[in-house]
Amino acid sequence: MQNKTTHSLWLVAPAAIMVAIFFLYPLFFSLYSAVTLEDGSLTLAHLTKAFSLYSNDILFTIAIVLASVVVLAILSITISAMIVLSPFKSLVSLLGLLYRLPLFIPFIVTAQMMRTFLAKNGLMNNAFVASGMMTPMDTISFLGWTGIIITFVWKQLAFSTLLLSGAMAALDQNQIRAAQNLGASRVRILFHIMLPQVFPTLGVALVLSTVTMMSVLSVPLMIGTGTPTMMSADMAFRVNSYGDYNVANALGLVSYLICSGLAWFYLRQSLKDKGATA
Amino acid sequence: MTRLNIENLNAGYGNKQILNDISLTVEQGEMIALLGPSGCGKTTLLNALCGFVPVSGGKIKVGNRDITTLPAENRNITMVFQSYALWPHMTVAQNVGYGLKVQKVAREEIEERVHELLSIVRLAGLANDKVTTLSGGQRQRVALARALAIRPDVLVLDEPLSNLDAKVRLNVRHEIKALQKQLGFTSLIVTHDQEEALVMADRIAVLNKGQIEQLGRPEEIYQSPKTPFVANFMGAENQIVWTPELESSILTGNSEALFVSRPTNLTANQQVFFRSENVTLITNTSRFDNDNSVLSLRGHVMQSAFFGNNYRISVQCGEHIIQADHTCDLPANTPVLLSVPAHALHVYDIETSFKSNAYATIQTSTSFQTI
Repeated sequence: MQNKTTHSLWLVAPAAIMVAIFFLYPLFFSLYSAVTLEDGSLTLAHLTKAFSLYSNDILFTIAIVLASVVVLAILSITISAMIVLSPFKSLVSLLGLLYRLPLFIPFIVTAQMMRTFLAKNGLMNNAFVASGMMTPMDTISFLGWTGIIITFVWKQLAFSTLLLSGAMAALDQNQIRAAQNLGASRVRILFHIMLPQVFPTLGVALVLSTVTMMSVLSVPLMIGTGTPTMMSADMAFRVNSYGDYNVANALGLVSYLICSGLAWFYLRQSLKDKGATA
Repeated sequence: MTRLNIENLNAGYGNKQILNDISLTVEQGEMIALLGPSGCGKTTLLNALCGFVPVSGGKIKVGNRDITTLPAENRNITMVFQSYALWPHMTVAQNVGYGLKVQKVAREEIEERVHELLSIVRLAGLANDKVTTLSGGQRQRVALARALAIRPDVLVLDEPLSNLDAKVRLNVRHEIKALQKQLGFTSLIVTHDQEEALVMADRIAVLNKGQIEQLGRPEEIYQSPKTPFVANFMGAENQIVWTPELESSILTGNSEALFVSRPTNLTANQQVFFRSENVTLITNTSRFDNDNSVLSLRGHVMQSAFFGNNYRISVQCGEHIIQADHTCDLPANTPVLLSVPAHALHVYDIETSFKSNAYATIQTSTSFQTI
């Protein structure tokens, strides 16, 4: 028995060592460097500096992410509901193909695409001008916070819709039929029957999307207008321009705390639901 | 609750036609069982009634209202599902009251109605429980209460008892029947279990390949099945094809012959169906009376199975295997004599080029009793 356990330990050792060296060590080292001085003593100086320089950017980041997540939730619920509940099957299969496309486009390509699309003399405004709906004087640039939100939503919509429509399709079809023959319309079925049951999946999609948005560098750099900007851009700036790993890591710690706050909120919510049903 | 009238209904999925020209009238307060093997279209018929499957021809009327093309939510026909289809995120009371909430009935009225229904289905104390904590039988009663809450014109039940274990099934079966008598709802119940259909229904429609083979009271269906399919489906699992060779063998009167006697109205090119419970089995094979009112034949015991109140004996008679009920166990290879009284035989004509077991070749059929 003892022998067997030792054997199994040896089997997981290579994977465990890889995780420790390439993931755990860098993570803890960056957290460590965020709260220590060069001589190894604990300090809050880096965090204080990060807040004094970048508190606007931190708020900006939170606002952008929250706004994106809200829009994302509304759009992905709408699209999934259309896919699952619509009686027009051919339209649904077209929609099913279209919404998946952004999954296969990298963030940096998306950002570049949005730049040419949303700029003051970009594709979108040119199309409006050409169709006579606007004069060139009236055009406004969407580059800036709106552009960042549009890009995040456009890119993450595929992912969260994929999860959500999967969860909706997995519901027992008879539950929907039962509501239908009791007189419920499709909208009622969506809000009363389907959404309460796919809420945990929506939570997962939104939490994972938040983490992704917090970590993307290309979008704020290419679509943002400079100040305020997102924390990922600030971190890159601290490292590239000043070699200041301590403040960059302090910012990293803050974004890590924001993400884990969300994850905690989500876990607590889903545990509450589970506790009630079990 | 009103009368349901189905006229020449055709329906299917895509290009596949499932229901062919179904016509059926369910009277007010009547319960009709749709009985048939899997794939015969019985569930499709219910789905077409509820509006879940589009109808390609024919009409569905409830009272004087034509509902053929109405969307499911406007039909006022509710369904009880085999899988219960309760909403797990709601309590028992919320499930039952949902239809009324959709109709914007006042809250007090909903509470009152839910309370009334829960006491009818004997779940009075469980109103605030989550449905996920209930047993199968309780869940199906919640589903029944939910379907009845909005006072539907027609209630349809899709194999409501199939997911329940044997004892609970008997209870719920009894309860549904009692409720149906008490409240008098017009209903259609789908089942593949002939006993369930016999016990619960006022009339039975036996379906085969998307058509109604026979419609009648349970006694009629059981005692005088009109077609070989109905006979076989209603438990007459013993089948003998009466070929000219068999007919001539019996006339020679050989004491070693397989068949000892046959009733007078069984003639060549007919097939005969009978139930194992109607077979009398005796081990004294020398007793020989050429009785023209019974079908009797010789054979050897193949195996016997204990059924509780009796043994089901499989007897090899030439190329036929006949099932017979008997009071005691018999060892294999015991020679036996089987006899079936004429009134228990269901006899049908067959085409001369009959190939064994091919129902498709049957053109005309008559029940033995009607001759």
